[in-house]
Amino acid sequence: MASASAVQATPSPSAASPAPSFTERPWVRRAGALLLLVVLVVAPLVLPQFANETLARVGVFAVAVLGLNVVMGYTGQVSLGQIFFLGLGAYVTAYGVQHDWNVVVVFLLACVVPAVAGLVVALAAARLGGLAIAMVTIALPIVGVPLAKRLGDVTGGSQGISARMGGAPEGSGLYNDQWTLYVVLVIGGIVFLLTRSLVRGKFGRAFAIVKGNEHVASSMGISPYRYKVLAFTIASLIGGVSGFLYMYVIQYTSPETMSFGHSIQLLAAMVIGGAGSIVGSILGGAYYVLVPQLTNEIDASLTALLQGAILLAVLFVLPGGLASLLRAVTRGRRRSGAGNGAAAPSTTPPSTAGSAPAAGEPETERHGHA
Amino acid sequence: MGTFVQLVVDGLSTGSVYAAIALAIVLVNQATGLINFAQGGMAVLAAYVAWALTNRGVPLVLAILLSIVFSFVLGAVVERYLMRRFERGDPDTAVVVTIGLLTLITGVAGWLWTYNNQSFPSLFPLDTVSFLGVSVSIRSIGTTLVIVVVMALLQALFVGTKLGLALRAVAINPQSASYSGLPVGRLLMVGWGLAAALGAVAGALVAPQLTLTPGMLDNALVYALAAVILGGLTSPVGVVVAAWIIGVLENLAAVYVPFIGYDLKVAVPFILIFVVLIVRPQGLFGRKTVVRV
Repeated sequence: MASASAVQATPSPSAASPAPSFTERPWVRRAGALLLLVVLVVAPLVLPQFANETLARVGVFAVAVLGLNVVMGYTGQVSLGQIFFLGLGAYVTAYGVQHDWNVVVVFLLACVVPAVAGLVVALAAARLGGLAIAMVTIALPIVGVPLAKRLGDVTGGSQGISARMGGAPEGSGLYNDQWTLYVVLVIGGIVFLLTRSLVRGKFGRAFAIVKGNEHVASSMGISPYRYKVLAFTIASLIGGVSGFLYMYVIQYTSPETMSFGHSIQLLAAMVIGGAGSIVGSILGGAYYVLVPQLTNEIDASLTALLQGAILLAVLFVLPGGLASLLRAVTRGRRRSGAGNGAAAPSTTPPSTAGSAPAAGEPETERHGHA
Repeated sequence: MGTFVQLVVDGLSTGSVYAAIALAIVLVNQATGLINFAQGGMAVLAAYVAWALTNRGVPLVLAILLSIVFSFVLGAVVERYLMRRFERGDPDTAVVVTIGLLTLITGVAGWLWTYNNQSFPSLFPLDTVSFLGVSVSIRSIGTTLVIVVVMALLQALFVGTKLGLALRAVAINPQSASYSGLPVGRLLMVGWGLAAALGAVAGALVAPQLTLTPGMLDNALVYALAAVILGGLTSPVGVVVAAWIIGVLENLAAVYVPFIGYDLKVAVPFILIFVVLIVRPQGLFGRKTVVRV
């Protein structure tokens, strides 16, 4: 996993390889991004309501998994507390909406409050080396649930709290489920793009070095402590955004949202989707939402057993998660197409194709839709 | 005053349970350098085995002993067929494997025996004894005593026997140990087996109080991990002392600090951790590790 993220962090030297394969040509990639954008714009209009609602939930948890990926997949710090920040963001959102605050203010608070909480936790937890962060963050969901129950005046106690934000605006001609999915796609898309830039830039390289070897990192003037705290804080902030989206889509939260079991499932979703991968985060979100539905169909009492078995099977057979399978497939195709493609290692992670809806120029968006 | 003593004794008893699981975690960590998040889950499975045996008419003590043997085998098998692949690799992946194992074990227990609470017969009577005008429960004293005895036995095994010496050698340096002819793989299996057996003792002792559910020891795992952090991974004694401190403090805080109460007492060890982390990052009794690059 480490090598994969390190490779991703380096700028892709596609110009250096002698003959860029089909998928690497700039116009192909731009057209692919444009196509994806068109699909994302059109899909909500044509899909049935149930599919839109499911996709919106996938989007919510894809963002949550992305946050976990920042701290765990890219920086190598096992966090068992990501779901807590989703829950915190959801509660902040619910509180703000119930008090009729401006939705922008609510969104900002849903980002800032979890980020500050994450910062405080990280400042203490990152002092411990190695696996101790996992051992401390496991406490977040375990303490979070009774805490949410206790603060009943704010959180509604065990009953939970529901809050409804505006549906489709008048005159847009959209159904509510379509509007909701658009909101998730826009906010989630922006978060994904920003995170993609983050992990491919200077900070991403620092994260990768901290993950690879902390001693090397500090010998290069990169403070492992500081970057661990930064990664954890960013992960908490993204968790807060996913909490806001959670409230937007599901419109209800209770202490159960951030239970220990859900925390483990989120981590499993990240590993199964692919640690240190942007596409893996989307796949992880899909896993988190879809697989429990599927296993519940088979036999509800088997859900935990199947999920544990799937996670262990993936770790044994496919340590890089589903994203590495995708990567292997595209690489194999490129190799057979370009002939000498074996000389060029995976300079272009296929993640770009799936994760960069706005990689094309935004001006072309209207043309694409018209 | 009476309440206070009762609270302290009860705290020592729950603290002993945390200490047993924490020691199991330390044992595994010393041998293989990873943290087994499934340690509590494996203990729950052992408790279920004991419970299922008593339902078939096996006497309680024998059932518990059989569940301890079962745990030893389970631990050894898990090490050999699941963890061995990941031991030399990335520790983060190994941690995720133990989390997968926890999910799987919880799932197996839930599937076989449902997620409903089952009542587990107690090894000790529920009476209290009066001592110098204070009454304390026999169960608390018994739990503490049993675990202290088990720990003493383990200590004797590690210090006084050839097997213990070999186990310590593997923990300190597996490579040198294998050069001097020790069967490292088999010793790692024994280490994991002992850890699981220790967990099984804790599971059987705490099950009557918590009632048996697949997630019974999730909270205890958190306490045990807190004790491991506070005591320091390198110090078994420190871990046991930290577990007792946590057990006593959370009991006292639950009663004397109104905001915390019984539902939020799980936060106590972590408040403690935050304070300790600021003052002594290596744990109360641990040594600072120095690593050569």
